[in-house]
Amino acid sequence: MNKYFEFQNVVKLLCGESALERLANELEHLGSKAPMLLSDAVLAKIGTMQQVVDAMEAEGCKPACTYTDIPVDSSLKVVNEIAALYRSSGCDALVAVGGGSVIDTAKGVRLVLSQNADDILAIGGVENLVRGTHIPFVVVPTTSGTGSECTGVAVIRNDENGVKMEFLSPFVQPDAAVIDPRMTLGLPPKATASTGFDAMVHAIEACTCLQANPMSTAYGTTAIKLICENVEEATRNGSNKKARYAMAVASTMAGVSFSNSMVGAVHAIGHALGGVCHVPHAVAMTILLPHVMRFNLERCKDSYAALLPWMIGMDAAMAIPAEKRGEAAIEAVAALSSRLNAICGLPLTLREAGVKQEDFAKVAEFAVNDGALIVNPRAADEAQVIEILNAAY
Amino acid sequence: MKLALQKLTVGIVLRVVHAALVELYALDSRVRDEFNRMPEGMSYALQTGFNAPQLFVQWKDGKLHNLKHLDKPVCALRLKSTGISFRMFTGQMGLAQAYAQHAFSMQGEIADVMKLARLVNLVEGYLFPKFITKHILTDIPALQVNPLRVYGRVLCGFLTGRYN
Ligand SMILES: NC(=O)c1ccc[n+]([C@@H]2O[C@H](COP(=O)([O-])OP(=O)(O)OC[C@H]3O[C@@H](n4cnc5c(N)ncnc54)[C@H](O)[C@@H]3O)[C@@H](O)[C@H]2O)c1
Ligand SMILES: [Fe+2]
Repeated sequence: MNKYFEFQNVVKLLCGESALERLANELEHLGSKAPMLLSDAVLAKIGTMQQVVDAMEAEGCKPACTYTDIPVDSSLKVVNEIAALYRSSGCDALVAVGGGSVIDTAKGVRLVLSQNADDILAIGGVENLVRGTHIPFVVVPTTSGTGSECTGVAVIRNDENGVKMEFLSPFVQPDAAVIDPRMTLGLPPKATASTGFDAMVHAIEACTCLQANPMSTAYGTTAIKLICENVEEATRNGSNKKARYAMAVASTMAGVSFSNSMVGAVHAIGHALGGVCHVPHAVAMTILLPHVMRFNLERCKDSYAALLPWMIGMDAAMAIPAEKRGEAAIEAVAALSSRLNAICGLPLTLREAGVKQEDFAKVAEFAVNDGALIVNPRAADEAQVIEILNAAY
Repeated sequence: MKLALQKLTVGIVLRVVHAALVELYALDSRVRDEFNRMPEGMSYALQTGFNAPQLFVQWKDGKLHNLKHLDKPVCALRLKSTGISFRMFTGQMGLAQAYAQHAFSMQGEIADVMKLARLVNLVEGYLFPKFITKHILTDIPALQVNPLRVYGRVLCGFLTGRYN
């Protein structure tokens, strides 16, 4: 057992079929009359955002202001812009409808507003902030991947140098999250598969990094089971509400898990690939996971072995000799990504993702400066990151 | 009494860590590369507890200066108690473990903590014997010179007032 650990999840979860219809009531209870709605252009175009607005308006809650120009991977500049707009338009709450990019932007905005700041860069850090003003904040995830609805971190891209920055504070956690399977019904197969893999990486890294603890592992292992049982069906048959729901709950659980443990080298290198080469976060996660697991294996034989029953079931896991179960967990992950590749063409190599080898040095430099690396079970320097990148190419 | 002793120990070790970094800049290529990549004026502050010793260092003119105070350090770390600091500076807990145990808060950019963590890991690799580092470092760094040389130069540096 850890000598010391902390665990916190303050987010109220509204999960299931009628979750969306309860959003207005939740906002009212949080004291909001004029919420600001944040989303992105795609979700505005395909009607997902409108579905949320309709559900809110049906219960008498109309957004006072809407902002949909949020870029993928978010942006420090956009965070500051939205905070200024919030103030000038007299809003009193934030509602984020989107994937990790929208949710993390909203988390950044909430930090700026609650700390009464103008620039998010000025308040960056780790657990450095006091609570500040309470800004009611509800999120509606539209991908089943990041788990950002329950995490104490916001990942926001610095447009000036391309670095994806992490802002860690318990006060970025929303008051409530609406986990409604209808929100992901329209998510295309490739995005379903890759974001599902992002959740898988959260759970695996959370259960095996230096900060893993019994509470985070309880959430992580259940998330792994739900993902392994449902991600293929959700990818193949996007309208299967049962599979969508299971994936939504799994990604939220994986979020709780890693928010109270941490991630590791997959995320450190993935953030760097996102910052330098614009590889979508979830795609980078899918490609990197088996390679980083192989790199970590010498330290993680037992912890990977312990995850195997959650991946392939107890009977199948027990049929494999104990000393081979660590490797078998890596093979299970690699096999799952190959099957997803067969279903939807999910990229499995960095080459397919459009990464150029001449960028590897820069990616490695960014990766070793990423906070996620600090609790990876094995230290990695730039040369070792480049080895991992070459293996994944 | 116990607390006072812990603070005294932490204060001494902080000075040794600064001195070791100054010496390792000359002796270890990884430390040299790390500092040479730092922007001019890069600074760190470390508070080790309530009314406890503090460290302010700044990289300037090719040297790591130990200052009495810095108004606006680029990266400010605060260990959450003197007891935690004592454990960290006496080889009972490494920086990764401190992170995992929420032992510190930080104002600034995480990338700067990662740079400092690499430097501190190297310093610990030289200053502590293997039976300690195997418990506190994720990986024990390869040493480029004999640790006795580092100790010798640090001692010499203190005797000649090189770090004042
Ligand atoms: N804070 C955290 O805890 C955390 C954790 C993991 C990742 N992240 C960050 O989250 C970001 C990635 O988030 P993401 O993977 O959710 O993707 P995303 O939010 O970047 O969205 C990717 C694309 O999918 C579209 N999309 C989203 N939902 C859709 C839907 N239901 N139907 C159709 N299209 C939809 C978006 O419009 C966008 O174009 C990255 O920046 C990553 O670093 C944060
Ligand atoms: Fe992720």
